[in-house]
Amino acid sequence: MKKDLLKLTAVLGLIMVCLALGSCGESRSPFAGKYRSVEPFAGKNYVDLELKEDGKGTWTHAGKSTEFTWMVNEGRIWIYTKTGAILIVTPGNGGKLLSADMTADWHPGCPPGSCVNFRRVPEGG
Amino acid sequence: MAEEEKRSTDRVVDGLKLCQLGQEVVVQAGERIVTQGETPEFFYVIQAGRVKVFRESVEGIRTDLTELSSGSYFGEVALVTGQPRTASVEAMEEARLIKVSKDEFDHLLDHNPQLARHIIHQLSQWLVVGDRRLESEVVHQVKLRQVSWFDYVLMIGLSIILALVVNIYNDNRIPLIHGWGQKSDVPEITLTQARELYQKNGAIVVDARKSAFYNQQHIKGATNLPLILFDLMYPLFQFTVAQTEGAKDKTIIVYGGSFSRRFDLELARLLKTKGMEHVVTLRDYQGWQQAFPLEGQEPKTPPALPLGIPGYMEWLPVGIFLLLLIPPIWRSPYLAVAGRILLGFIFVSFALSKIMRPAVFALNVVDYGMMPSFGVNLWALVLPWAELVVGLFLILGIRTRAAATLIAAMNIIFIVGLVDAIFHHLPINCGCVGEVGEPVNWWKVTKNAGMLVMCVQIFLYDRLFVLDRGGFTLRDRQI
Repeated sequence: MKKDLLKLTAVLGLIMVCLALGSCGESRSPFAGKYRSVEPFAGKNYVDLELKEDGKGTWTHAGKSTEFTWMVNEGRIWIYTKTGAILIVTPGNGGKLLSADMTADWHPGCPPGSCVNFRRVPEGG
Repeated sequence: MAEEEKRSTDRVVDGLKLCQLGQEVVVQAGERIVTQGETPEFFYVIQAGRVKVFRESVEGIRTDLTELSSGSYFGEVALVTGQPRTASVEAMEEARLIKVSKDEFDHLLDHNPQLARHIIHQLSQWLVVGDRRLESEVVHQVKLRQVSWFDYVLMIGLSIILALVVNIYNDNRIPLIHGWGQKSDVPEITLTQARELYQKNGAIVVDARKSAFYNQQHIKGATNLPLILFDLMYPLFQFTVAQTEGAKDKTIIVYGGSFSRRFDLELARLLKTKGMEHVVTLRDYQGWQQAFPLEGQEPKTPPALPLGIPGYMEWLPVGIFLLLLIPPIWRSPYLAVAGRILLGFIFVSFALSKIMRPAVFALNVVDYGMMPSFGVNLWALVLPWAELVVGLFLILGIRTRAAATLIAAMNIIFIVGLVDAIFHHLPINCGCVGEVGEPVNWWKVTKNAGMLVMCVQIFLYDRLFVLDRGGFTLRDRQI
């Protein structure tokens, strides 16, 4: 009985270690900040994109905000929506420009017509 | 008892010295004196030093039988039975031995009843001890090879409990059953009615599926509003509708539901909450392909993203196919250990990539269209935890046969899903490694088949480095 408990503890301990290791990702710092779409989206208003250091973020368009989480993987920004969609955002110009692939098909690129481009908003601006 | 035996053995050795039989030899530490399987020629008596008696199986598993020191003897069994040597003997330190030839040994037995009796006594003792050892080993092996229902209950139960508990505290939690208890307030129309509206240009047709499915095939002229991107893409849809002539009088027909998820119904509800009227879905929600004119592009494979180390490791079990050609390696328990660690690592890393974002994995499950909608979220929650738990059981060597069968079952399910997706040209990612866009192709099927073969090998031949019933089993096990 004691042995079985030890085994179970070993398994649970390893699971915790694995989860801790699995949650590690690349630093978000270079891309954290506020961005605004280069062009108006859907014919009206710009999209404001905020990427916070803690991995949370907001997509605001026409006064309506949508929350999401994000992480950096192999130099690209992965945006996770509550519904399970993933948007892959490709940074350019040292993180000053972002191209969001709106197909949610995990493209590493950004197909024309399904791409929203953002420019970083200077701090305080 | 041991003292008496020692005195008796000493008398035998003294007797040998008196008779001046044999020749004295000196062997160095590590030197092999007798080799298992060879034809016996000599009987040995130890005058000084220590030797180790051991057996080696065809697979190279060494079992240490005993250690002998000054006053003991060995090599008599093969001389008496006339069979090849039953064990090997190696000097543990520099040892001095009396080496007696077969003729001398036979002569000695004929003229030394004391020695003959002692050898018979010794052989009888060995027989009794051997029987006990055999029984103990059989019991151990039987226990080790037992697969009980409890093993499966333990692993699956642990996975379910962990999945449910973590889901409660997970920021990205999902409901256990998607859409449970939701009543449909969206009107339905028949395919015939929908076609009439479409032909009279009285409808705006909206495809609720992912872009890749839409791009591959959709109702001619339909607009794509993927349900999963509703919050972000609705303004664009609203803008498109606003540009459409006579939009206010048109019925919005939403389609795109599948066996695994009613995207159409959910999107229709959301559109109604946004104030859109005249939103309907199709009663026969999967029949649109036969009822409407279609358009789309040729099926194309979604672009792949790098998989990392687990991707390369997946190829290793494929190499196991080649090992099938070499029976001694195929049966090796060391191969089973290597396979266990390999499969364990692959499954743990795959699980970790999916475990914290079950909604993403649930959509992957939906993409295959094989799981009924009520089971999608449960499957998406429990499967990654099962991969993690079973992977760890394999690595640690706990209930490995049951773990191997569970991993084999998972691989069979994955293979069936992949083959189905290939034949139906589904524009989907594998979903095997969480969010990595790994394409669905025959290479992926081959990798899974390799892992399946590895599971069979583990099930049949795994018995070493096992933290299981009967304790930890190591290579040089003392019996």
